Amino acid sequence: MFRDQRAWFCRSVGKDLQELWVAHGGVICNPREADFLFSCDASHPDTMRIYQSFDYMEDNATVFHAYYLSAVAKAVSKKTVPLGHYVLPPTCLQKEIRKKIGSFIWEQNNHVMTEKHDEV
Amino acid sequence: RLIVWSESLYSCIEVGKALNSRNFSRLLHSCPFQCDRHKVILEAEDRYKSDLRKSLICNKKIVLTPYKKKRLSNES
Ligand SMILES: [Zn+2]
Repeated sequence: MFRDQRAWFCRSVGKDLQELWVAHGGVICNPREADFLFSCDASHPDTMRIYQSFDYMEDNATVFHAYYLSAVAKAVSKKTVPLGHYVLPPTCLQKEIRKKIGSFIWEQNNHVMTEKHDEV
Repeated sequence: RLIVWSESLYSCIEVGKALNSRNFSRLLHSCPFQCDRHKVILEAEDRYKSDLRKSLICNKKIVLTPYKKKRLSNES
Protein backbone atom coordinates (compact mmCIF):
# COMPACT_ATOMS: atom_id res chain seq x y z
CA MET A 1 0.00 0.00 0.00
CA PHE A 2 2.88 2.38 0.78
CA ARG A 3 5.38 0.64 -1.45
CA ASP A 4 8.71 2.50 -1.69
CA GLN A 5 7.30 5.61 -0.05
CA ARG A 6 9.53 7.22 2.53
CA ALA A 7 8.33 8.41 5.90
CA TRP A 8 9.85 10.03 8.93
CA PHE A 9 8.41 9.26 12.36
CA CYS A 10 8.55 11.48 15.40
CA ARG A 11 9.50 9.50 18.51
CA SER A 12 5.99 10.21 19.79
CA VAL A 13 4.66 7.67 17.28
CA GLY A 14 4.16 4.17 18.68
CA LYS A 15 6.18 1.26 17.33
CA ASP A 16 3.00 -0.44 16.12
CA LEU A 17 2.21 2.38 13.69
CA GLN A 18 5.77 2.45 12.40
CA GLU A 19 5.67 -1.32 11.91
CA LEU A 20 2.41 -0.91 10.02
CA TRP A 21 4.14 1.47 7.62
CA VAL A 22 6.96 -0.98 7.00
CA ALA A 23 4.58 -3.93 6.71
CA HIS A 24 2.82 -2.12 3.87
CA GLY A 25 6.05 -1.61 1.94
CA GLY A 26 7.00 1.81 3.31
CA VAL A 27 10.53 2.87 4.16
CA ILE A 28 11.56 4.84 7.26
CA CYS A 29 14.11 7.60 6.77
CA ASN A 30 15.28 10.97 8.06
CA PRO A 31 13.02 14.05 7.92
CA ARG A 32 14.84 15.70 5.02
CA GLU A 33 14.38 12.75 2.65
CA ALA A 34 10.90 11.76 3.75
CA ASP A 35 7.79 12.11 1.61
CA PHE A 36 5.64 11.83 4.72
CA LEU A 37 6.16 13.34 8.16
CA PHE A 38 4.23 11.56 10.89
CA SER A 39 3.81 12.51 14.52
CA CYS A 40 1.45 11.76 17.41
CA ASP A 41 2.42 14.80 19.45
CA ALA A 42 2.87 18.28 18.04
CA SER A 43 4.71 19.39 21.18
CA HIS A 44 7.34 16.64 20.98
CA PRO A 45 10.81 18.16 20.38
CA ASP A 46 11.24 16.05 17.20
CA THR A 47 8.10 17.53 15.70
CA MET A 48 8.80 21.03 17.03
CA ARG A 49 12.00 20.92 15.01
CA ILE A 50 9.93 20.39 11.86
CA TYR A 51 7.70 23.37 12.71
CA GLN A 52 10.80 25.53 13.05
CA SER A 53 12.41 24.36 9.83
CA PHE A 54 12.73 26.26 6.57
CA ASP A 55 10.90 23.43 4.82
CA TYR A 56 7.87 24.04 6.99
CA MET A 57 8.10 27.79 6.62
CA GLU A 58 8.26 27.44 2.84
CA ASP A 59 5.19 25.17 2.67
CA ASN A 60 7.30 22.12 1.92
CA ALA A 61 6.57 20.14 5.06
CA THR A 62 3.14 19.24 6.38
CA VAL A 63 3.05 17.08 9.49
CA PHE A 64 0.34 14.44 9.57
CA HIS A 65 -1.01 12.62 12.59
CA ALA A 66 0.16 9.02 12.50
CA TYR A 67 -3.37 7.82 13.27
CA TYR A 68 -3.83 8.18 9.53
CA LEU A 69 -2.00 4.86 9.26
CA SER A 70 -4.30 3.04 11.63
CA ALA A 71 -7.30 4.49 9.77
CA VAL A 72 -5.86 3.23 6.48
CA ALA A 73 -5.26 -0.19 8.00
CA LYS A 74 -8.91 -0.33 9.05
CA ALA A 75 -10.34 1.02 5.80
CA VAL A 76 -11.17 -1.16 2.82
CA SER A 77 -9.33 1.14 0.46
CA LYS A 78 -6.56 3.64 1.12
CA LYS A 79 -8.52 6.12 -1.00
CA THR A 80 -11.41 6.22 1.45
CA VAL A 81 -9.16 7.77 4.14
CA PRO A 82 -8.48 11.43 3.36
CA LEU A 83 -4.89 12.16 4.35
CA GLY A 84 -5.79 15.84 4.40
CA HIS A 85 -7.92 15.37 7.51
CA TYR A 86 -4.90 14.27 9.48
CA VAL A 87 -2.94 17.52 9.28
CA LEU A 88 -1.23 18.08 12.62
CA PRO A 89 -0.75 21.80 13.25
CA PRO A 90 1.64 23.23 15.86
CA THR A 91 0.37 22.94 19.45
CA CYS A 92 0.09 26.70 19.91
CA LEU A 93 -2.53 26.82 17.11
CA GLN A 94 -4.62 23.82 18.09
CA LYS A 95 -6.72 25.57 20.71
CA GLU A 96 -7.97 28.32 18.41
CA ILE A 97 -8.53 25.86 15.56
CA ARG A 98 -10.55 23.62 17.87
CA LYS A 99 -12.61 26.61 18.93
CA LYS A 100 -13.60 27.28 15.32
CA ILE A 101 -14.08 23.81 13.89
CA GLY A 102 -14.35 21.42 16.82
CA SER A 103 -12.05 18.59 17.72
CA PHE A 104 -9.55 17.09 15.32
CA ILE A 105 -10.23 13.80 13.59
CA TRP A 106 -7.58 11.99 15.62
CA GLU A 107 -9.32 13.11 18.79
CA GLN A 108 -12.74 11.94 17.63
CA ASN A 109 -12.15 8.45 16.37
CA ASN A 110 -11.42 5.34 18.28
CA HIS A 111 -8.41 4.03 16.54
CA VAL A 112 -7.90 0.32 16.51
CA MET A 113 -4.17 0.61 16.82
CA THR A 114 -4.31 2.90 19.82
CA GLU A 115 -6.56 0.54 21.68
CA LYS A 116 -3.85 -2.04 21.33
CA HIS A 117 -1.19 0.41 22.50
CA ASP A 118 0.74 -0.77 25.48
CA GLU A 119 1.59 2.43 27.25
CA VAL A 120 4.30 1.50 29.68
CA ARG B 1 -8.32 20.05 -9.81
CA LEU B 2 -6.71 17.99 -7.13
CA ILE B 3 -8.95 18.41 -4.17
CA VAL B 4 -12.68 18.69 -4.65
CA TRP B 5 -15.49 19.60 -2.37
CA SER B 6 -17.61 16.67 -1.34
CA GLU B 7 -21.20 17.49 -0.45
CA SER B 8 -21.76 14.22 1.32
CA LEU B 9 -18.68 14.44 3.50
CA TYR B 10 -18.76 18.22 4.00
CA SER B 11 -15.05 18.25 3.42
CA CYS B 12 -12.47 18.26 0.68
CA ILE B 13 -11.66 14.86 -0.70
CA GLU B 14 -8.58 13.93 -2.59
CA VAL B 15 -8.57 12.87 -6.19
CA GLY B 16 -5.87 12.11 -8.69
CA LYS B 17 -2.42 13.04 -7.54
CA ALA B 18 -1.11 11.39 -4.40
CA LEU B 19 -0.75 13.85 -1.57
CA ASN B 20 2.19 13.84 0.79
CA SER B 21 3.95 16.10 3.30
CA ARG B 22 5.85 17.84 0.51
CA ASN B 23 3.03 18.87 -1.79
CA PHE B 24 0.06 19.09 0.55
CA SER B 25 0.40 22.67 1.71
CA ARG B 26 0.96 24.12 -1.75
CA LEU B 27 -1.82 22.05 -3.31
CA LEU B 28 -4.23 23.14 -0.61
CA HIS B 29 -3.29 26.78 -1.13
CA SER B 30 -4.10 26.44 -4.82
CA CYS B 31 -7.33 24.56 -4.18
CA PRO B 32 -10.41 26.68 -4.92
CA PHE B 33 -12.70 24.38 -2.95
CA GLN B 34 -11.23 24.39 0.52
CA CYS B 35 -13.58 23.13 3.19
CA ASP B 36 -14.04 25.15 6.39
CA ARG B 37 -11.74 22.87 8.36
CA HIS B 38 -8.87 23.31 5.96
CA LYS B 39 -9.46 27.02 5.59
CA VAL B 40 -9.16 27.47 9.35
CA ILE B 41 -6.09 25.25 9.67
CA LEU B 42 -4.41 26.86 6.67
CA GLU B 43 -5.00 30.38 7.97
CA ALA B 44 -3.59 29.50 11.38
CA GLU B 45 -0.54 27.77 9.92
CA ASP B 46 0.10 30.64 7.49
CA ARG B 47 0.07 33.08 10.37
CA TYR B 48 2.45 30.88 12.35
CA LYS B 49 4.79 30.69 9.35
CA SER B 50 4.84 34.42 8.78
CA ASP B 51 5.54 34.99 12.51
CA LEU B 52 8.39 32.51 12.23
CA ARG B 53 9.77 34.38 9.25
CA LYS B 54 9.57 37.67 11.14
CA SER B 55 11.26 36.23 14.22
CA LEU B 56 14.08 34.87 12.09
CA ILE B 57 14.62 38.32 10.63
CA CYS B 58 14.47 39.86 14.12
CA ASN B 59 17.02 37.38 15.44
CA LYS B 60 19.37 38.41 12.69
CA LYS B 61 18.88 42.06 13.58
CA ILE B 62 19.52 41.40 17.26
CA VAL B 63 22.83 39.82 16.37
CA LEU B 64 23.73 42.79 14.19
CA THR B 65 22.58 45.64 16.43
CA PRO B 66 24.23 46.27 19.78
CA TYR B 67 21.33 46.37 22.21
CA LYS B 68 23.42 46.71 25.33
CA LYS B 69 23.08 50.44 24.95
CA LYS B 70 19.31 50.19 24.95
CA ARG B 71 19.33 48.12 28.12
CA LEU B 72 21.53 50.63 29.87
CA SER B 73 19.29 53.49 28.94
CA ASN B 74 16.26 51.57 30.21
CA GLU B 75 17.89 51.07 33.58
CA SER B 76 18.54 54.75 34.16
ZN1 LIG C 1 -10.74 20.15 3.50
